[in-house]
Amino acid sequence: MPTVLQNIFRFILLVLFQVLVLDNIQFLGFVNPYLYILFIIALPVQTPRWFSLILAFVIGITVGIFSNIPGPHAFATVLVAFSRDGIIKLFTQIEEGNNPTPSFYTFGVSAYIKYVVLLVLIHNFTLFILESFSFINFWLLLSKIILSSVVTILLILGFQSIKTK
Amino acid sequence: MKNLINFLIQYSVVFLFLFLEIISFTLIVKNQEYQKSVFLSSSNSVVSSMYEWSNSVVEFFKLRAANDNLSEENTALKNQIIKLENKLVTLEKVTPDSVHFRIPPEMEYQFIAAKVIKCTTNKLQNYITLDKGALDGIKIDMGVVSDEGVVGIVKNVSPKFSVVIPILNPKIEISCKFKRNNYSGSLLWNGVDYRYANLTDIARHVELSLGDTLITSGLTSTFPEGIPVGSVEDFKIKESDAYYRIKVKLAVNFRTLSYVKVINYLNFQEQKDLEKKSEEQ
Repeated sequence: MPTVLQNIFRFILLVLFQVLVLDNIQFLGFVNPYLYILFIIALPVQTPRWFSLILAFVIGITVGIFSNIPGPHAFATVLVAFSRDGIIKLFTQIEEGNNPTPSFYTFGVSAYIKYVVLLVLIHNFTLFILESFSFINFWLLLSKIILSSVVTILLILGFQSIKTK
Repeated sequence: MKNLINFLIQYSVVFLFLFLEIISFTLIVKNQEYQKSVFLSSSNSVVSSMYEWSNSVVEFFKLRAANDNLSEENTALKNQIIKLENKLVTLEKVTPDSVHFRIPPEMEYQFIAAKVIKCTTNKLQNYITLDKGALDGIKIDMGVVSDEGVVGIVKNVSPKFSVVIPILNPKIEISCKFKRNNYSGSLLWNGVDYRYANLTDIARHVELSLGDTLITSGLTSTFPEGIPVGSVEDFKIKESDAYYRIKVKLAVNFRTLSYVKVINYLNFQEQKDLEKKSEEQ
């Protein structure tokens, strides 16, 4: 089961990278990229929805525990996992029986970019709003969301373009 | 029933989704005090903030009254302490001297009550006239105090009246010292304001702070030690100065002065004679 192993590795690597490296980056004081969402983005398309939901919950809780805010992370990742299928169906035509891993090659460049951008935005919006739990500093909150999303999207697309397959 | 089961199976993912989100949300609300408190109190945040604001304002006003009460109580307690200390000092037995007659310490000073019948505060040289004189036992050079503190020194005596030079007269200097560290200097009026006088002869190494209490030093025979004179209102020292310029707020308000006590130091003559004799030798 190479796909399963691959995903387990990806899970561990992404969590470690997120917790040990990215959470310590406070670029410009408030840009904190959340690359670990790549795990959900890169799950095979035909992964059972219930399974992807549970996986999303687990990775959200894991990353969240490290940064002391498990709730918002779990909420955001579960929401991302839930909306993933619909977005895939919206942007791509995957034939029945195929089970590709989302990437530039399987989705096509524009569809993949749209897919990534939408999921990252959902994640970041949910996460930051739940984290602050208020709209008092609305513009600061919005700029945080936008900047973090941009950095995260660039990181994900960069990682994907490096991959040779 | 079958429909219900089908329905549940069909939407099992949605239920799972909802279930997980509810867990997450519970975590958000329960795990974090901040979110918890916001969540629980957001409905009445307006009320609570207004309440807080009004309370802070009201509290501020109450603080003043509380402060006044406390300072009054503080002074009362301080006075009591001074009284008790004085009592304690007088109660301590001096080793009895059977050979020589000696006036016990508590009897050394007697007070002659007098009423102020004339008092000026606005002149460069002010004088106070009292309604008692030589017939009542007042003699020249006796000290005069009021309940608040030092007033002055008797300058002239007639049978029924006496004239006092108060602190508000550059002709006299009152020897006084800091209650805190016993450094003594002399108090001199500058002729400007009846509430303030200047303290001289305090060298620059002496540590001062605003509000330090000044009492009589007891170095002259006119006043016993420990009568309040005033408190430090302000002090300055230039780089080149050896002595402080200290502005003292006088303890006595000369504008409202009406009753005073003249101090009769019973050993005055003996002390004076002895000192004179020593100087002549």
